[in-house]
Amino acid sequence: MQTMLQPNTTKQKRLKKRKRWGIHLFPIPALAIYGLFIVYPQLAALTYSFYDWKGIKRGVFIGLDNYKNLFTQEPFSGYFWNSFGHNVLYFAVQMIVQNGLAFLLAFIIYQKIRGAEFFKIAYFLPRLLSVIVVGFLWKLILNPNYGALNVIFGAFGLENLKKAWLGDPDTALMAIILVNCWFGLGFAVLIFLAGFQAIPRDLLEAATLDGAKGLMMLRRIMLPLMMPSIMIMTVLTFIQSFEAFELVYAMQGSQGEPYHATDTLAVFFYRLAFGGGTGDSTAIGLGSALAVLLFLFISVITAFYLRYMQKKQVDM
Amino acid sequence: MGKMGKAWLVGVFVFILMFAAACSKDTDKTDMSDSGSKGNDKTEGTVSLTIGSWRTEDTANYEKVTAAFNKKYPNIKVEFKPSKNTEYNTILNTALQSGEGPDIIHLRPYAPGIALADAGYLEPLDDVKGLDVFPDAALQASKGSDGKQYGVPVNMSTTQMFYNKKIFKDLNLKEPKTWDEFIALNETIKKKGIIPIAIGTKEGWLLSAAHGIIGPAHYGANDFVDKITKGQTNFTSEEFVNSIKAMEQLKKYFPDNSEGLGMDDIRTLFATGQAAMFPMGSWEIEVVRGLNPDIEIGYFPMPSAIGKEPTITAWVDGSFAVNAKSKHKEEAKKFMEFLTTKEFGELFTNEFKMISAMPGVKSKDELVTSLSEAVEKISTPYMMVVYFAGGNPTTKVTLETELQGMYLGKQTPEGVAKKVQESADTWFKPVQ
Amino acid sequence: MKTTIWMKPFYYVIAFVFASISLYPIVLMILSSFKPSMEIFMHPLALPKEFSMETFKKLLEQVPFMTYFSNSVFVSVVSVLLTLITTSLAAFYIARYTFWWNHIMFFIFLMGMMIPIKLGIVPLFILMKNLGLTNSLWSLILMYTATGIPLSILILTGFFRTIPRELEEAARMDGAGDLRILWNVVLPLMRPALGTVMIINFIQSWNDFFFPLIFITDELKKTIPVGMMSLFGEYSADWGALFAGLTLSSLPMIVLFFIASKQFMEGLTAGAVK
Repeated sequence: MQTMLQPNTTKQKRLKKRKRWGIHLFPIPALAIYGLFIVYPQLAALTYSFYDWKGIKRGVFIGLDNYKNLFTQEPFSGYFWNSFGHNVLYFAVQMIVQNGLAFLLAFIIYQKIRGAEFFKIAYFLPRLLSVIVVGFLWKLILNPNYGALNVIFGAFGLENLKKAWLGDPDTALMAIILVNCWFGLGFAVLIFLAGFQAIPRDLLEAATLDGAKGLMMLRRIMLPLMMPSIMIMTVLTFIQSFEAFELVYAMQGSQGEPYHATDTLAVFFYRLAFGGGTGDSTAIGLGSALAVLLFLFISVITAFYLRYMQKKQVDM
Repeated sequence: MGKMGKAWLVGVFVFILMFAAACSKDTDKTDMSDSGSKGNDKTEGTVSLTIGSWRTEDTANYEKVTAAFNKKYPNIKVEFKPSKNTEYNTILNTALQSGEGPDIIHLRPYAPGIALADAGYLEPLDDVKGLDVFPDAALQASKGSDGKQYGVPVNMSTTQMFYNKKIFKDLNLKEPKTWDEFIALNETIKKKGIIPIAIGTKEGWLLSAAHGIIGPAHYGANDFVDKITKGQTNFTSEEFVNSIKAMEQLKKYFPDNSEGLGMDDIRTLFATGQAAMFPMGSWEIEVVRGLNPDIEIGYFPMPSAIGKEPTITAWVDGSFAVNAKSKHKEEAKKFMEFLTTKEFGELFTNEFKMISAMPGVKSKDELVTSLSEAVEKISTPYMMVVYFAGGNPTTKVTLETELQGMYLGKQTPEGVAKKVQESADTWFKPVQ
Repeated sequence: MKTTIWMKPFYYVIAFVFASISLYPIVLMILSSFKPSMEIFMHPLALPKEFSMETFKKLLEQVPFMTYFSNSVFVSVVSVLLTLITTSLAAFYIARYTFWWNHIMFFIFLMGMMIPIKLGIVPLFILMKNLGLTNSLWSLILMYTATGIPLSILILTGFFRTIPRELEEAARMDGAGDLRILWNVVLPLMRPALGTVMIINFIQSWNDFFFPLIFITDELKKTIPVGMMSLFGEYSADWGALFAGLTLSSLPMIVLFFIASKQFMEGLTAGAVK
């Protein structure tokens, strides 16, 4: 991705040497704030996972027992894999629905349709709302008795489509993921649009002259050039869907109701580390162990993905 | 949108700002003078205490309490600083673990509160005068495992079947005296096209609350509680399984789509007269009245299915405790002392419209008084809160989850009982 | 690129359908704030019978909204500025130099997005206490700066790499130092990217409620989301007031966005991902 800065004259070399010490000050402020308020507290908290906890009081050092219990002790291991599956679905649906749709909408806006500005703003507006507001609004819309969705289905005579969307374990998780897609759509549209607009026009014109058309054009010429934006959205979506917490918590509470149908790893973590909200018991050791594993999983996958994409780009 | 749209929005924005400024001027002023007087008082040796709590809705009422307290102790300023119910524990635990937190802590009842005491975050209150006005059962809610008293109980909560008096009158219905009468009653209401019981299964805690009302009628109230806490029976026993089966049996009297309904929905169904009965706690009385001031609420004790006395379910719902790290423990204990006075008890029950933990305190509200009398005569403990709020996840939460599963057709009553027992097995030690 | 004519109507239909879905809940929120609670339950879809400002008035009398608002503005503006300054310096360093540790530094910054940040709340609280920052708006400013760093570095580093080096070299030949180059040559070209980073961080710090919940107990130091959150307890049954509160807390952000949207849109579309 980077090429060495090639100093081609000796004068420049000298200048560079003289200036070099100063440049190392550049990342210091960011590193200092980041180190003090992110790295240090998180590292301090990681050690929690090696202790036995009695409520919110730290007990004795127990090595890796918390990690072991997470996988061997019921109901924790059940919750773990159940949540993990939900996170995978979260990622898949967000990739397909949110990012797929965003790609299509960005493509449409790229066609210079009228009102492009309006559409961009409209898609992005939900992103401005606080997640509490989003959760509250959609809970209302999805309410089985007076929610707008069921009322609309009723008005069209589609009585059998009416459902208790958030109360039915078959639909609850999907409903929440789709709300998340609604929330994140605009950002993805803008990122993809940026990608489209970065494609040099003359390249497209040349391809048109060569007889490339429609889908073929999209697949052969545009898709490869869209890879950077696709990569960014994939990484961000991956991280977000495996950290999915706030919306689930706002809509279904800390137990991932109903019947753990909407449980995610981060909700499970919150439940363990802070209790269920209204005074339920905590298991800080287990919670920290879960957070560590979640972090390791996300960072390892992301690192591999980034490396893979980098290699691929070099090959191209 | 275009230029017009933007101009319009900016206009609205400016308008709102001006509006807000105009409205908030007064509050700003009082705030200013408040902090000003605080500054003056400090020089005269005034101490400021803060109370942490989850009761955001009681802020105005607690101001009356602190005003009454200040008549006796003008030099101790008390500030009530509640945080949102569902985040209270997160906030409190974080502060306590860091050696901070409010001077006075509103304590969750039983296991979660006692856990704080056992971890050493609370100050023992055995030397506070007046604690003897409370019955042992009330003190139990905040007694540490070391036998010391860590909290002053404030209010009792009860759960019972509320009903809409007007609907009962219109349909010529009487309060049921037996379980069969209760079922017959449900049938009649349902036939008239009214929802018999306003309940939803989307939020688990509604289910353990409902089971707290309906369960005792089947497992046999206090006798069963006695036995199970002594280890003479368990949750897989026939009595308990029957109590779960009764919950399942009632499903046909729930509203449509009950699996998608939460607290707000069922409250609305009851308050608007769409549902006749409401298995709920005493704290909701004022909220329902707020939604519909004309509603007349009655309640009946749950009639037993096995020929025992009818019961309502009661427990201590909140105590106040003193932070062991507080800089003003003596002053905080003065406040604890105030909480044991009759003056506070009466103020509390009248202003908050809740049941005081102090026996014999009468409320001006007929319904509240009737409930507090029932507490003394025919109550059974909310077993899941009082004895089974331990474990991780707690046995109470396990019951909630599994009941939810049962209503969704993913669990059987026997399965519910089995899971609950498995959870209790991981931590519960019977009293010898 | 040319599109076949018959596709166009489809484009408009699709674009319009999803714009409606995006906007509907927001419109619903604003309309509902003018309704009394009962009307919300009974006629959720209907327009309010009359546009009454009563709920807004009642709300503003009880909640020090202007205090919350100015706290939110202060916290968001300062933290966004800090994020912009620190991350443009750091991203410039990462993108423009090839010390062997740059990749590692870049990934370490990215890791900030991958940790459930709530995990470290107790050490953070103790840290803030030792710095004397509990109950201070600076605790929020520092947290939002810190949590904004990862995504900002990701975006800005991508951008810095797109800027042609020739410009820099020319300035360097004239004897300009690194800071001068960054300030005079590179940053002016980066305005769109900086706009993007600005808005994204602004949204985050404006809407966050977790940190103020933990760090702030003083009523007069609360920010809009956490101040408004107490409404959920107090008005759990009064949905009219609740919606008015939600509208009030969301509106400043929406208005700000309309004012800044042009800059922002250009920002993202000018090449966040080249």
